[in-house]
Amino acid sequence: MLFDCSSVRALAVEPVEIRFQNHQFTPSSLTVPAGQKLSIKVINASDETIEFESFKLNREKVVSPGETITVRLPELSPGDYDFYDDFHQDVPVGNIVAR
Amino acid sequence: MMPGVIAACAAVAGSAYAQIDPWEFEVYPYATEQRGVVELETLNAVVANGHSTPDAGTGAQFPSQSTWFNAYELTYGLTDRIEAAAYLNLALPRGQGLWYSGSKYRLRGRLFDEETLPVNLGWYLELEWHKSPQFDDANLELELRPIMEKDFGRLSLVANPVFEKVLSGAGRNQGFEFGYRNAVYYRWLKYLSPGVEFYGGCGLIDDTDPLRDQQHYIFPVLWGALPNGIEYSVGPGSGLTPNSDRVIMKFNIELERYVGALFGPSSENSWFF
Repeated sequence: MLFDCSSVRALAVEPVEIRFQNHQFTPSSLTVPAGQKLSIKVINASDETIEFESFKLNREKVVSPGETITVRLPELSPGDYDFYDDFHQDVPVGNIVAR
Repeated sequence: MMPGVIAACAAVAGSAYAQIDPWEFEVYPYATEQRGVVELETLNAVVANGHSTPDAGTGAQFPSQSTWFNAYELTYGLTDRIEAAAYLNLALPRGQGLWYSGSKYRLRGRLFDEETLPVNLGWYLELEWHKSPQFDDANLELELRPIMEKDFGRLSLVANPVFEKVLSGAGRNQGFEFGYRNAVYYRWLKYLSPGVEFYGGCGLIDDTDPLRDQQHYIFPVLWGALPNGIEYSVGPGSGLTPNSDRVIMKFNIELERYVGALFGPSSENSWFF
């Protein structure tokens, strides 16, 4: 794990995991290798239903409390891909950095 | 995409009215409604420049010119892979009152998880019940559509070939009719993105209509998602054949809300449910 002041950054080692707890995603930012397929496990450790969504990645999935879902992604071009909880607009937006 | 499809229709070249559904100018992607989410959508199409005689373009017993086709669709995400929907179709031909023109019930699903196959595949099964012969003289129709989608970065190519069979009423002894609903979408901004949609019908598979009698349309569209679960798709459609209406304006608006799931998450090992 690499850390900076503004966010938690995780180097992608499959399976990448994102946990939703205390009304936020952790890590909020993760770096993944560009040009290779990957899967992201989204764990909802909160007591609220969320919708994990990324417009740029064309993905959206409902995750009920206590559930874990897998989001499969194609080979990503280098760039930033934000993700968010579409059911709760006040949840801080996270991002996936492909490089 | 469009010239190829029209050429294919002409090659296998009867009335191509049935495969054009003016109540629903919408192309379905691979993704289904999210589990536990309800969507209420109003689909609208106004024939801005159509035909002044009946039985031409999107018109049946009424001329198509200035007709407003209005549908209400209620969809619920049953599982992560299957959704169910019901439609109420209404129409307001010029100089007429608002007509009830039919109901539709459908199931739609996606097969496997995304990225499992080279092309994401889905399915669509619909029963359409017509109450008003003023708009269609078939009483009950079955519609089947395979759904195919392939993403290239921010670009999505979506194809919905349409196979339709009359089960009751005029045409029940005939075979399947063929049509298509295809689209190219670019994901620019979440609240505003461009796309191009293609709709057409060729007639019976084994006895297609002459090309001049078929209907084919191209719709440049703007689409996006606004705050509070509101999504929209609007655009002008241009008819490409003499029997097509010349200009149809479509505007679809939907509202999504999570109301609670009936079922748990779909198994990652399953491919259908």
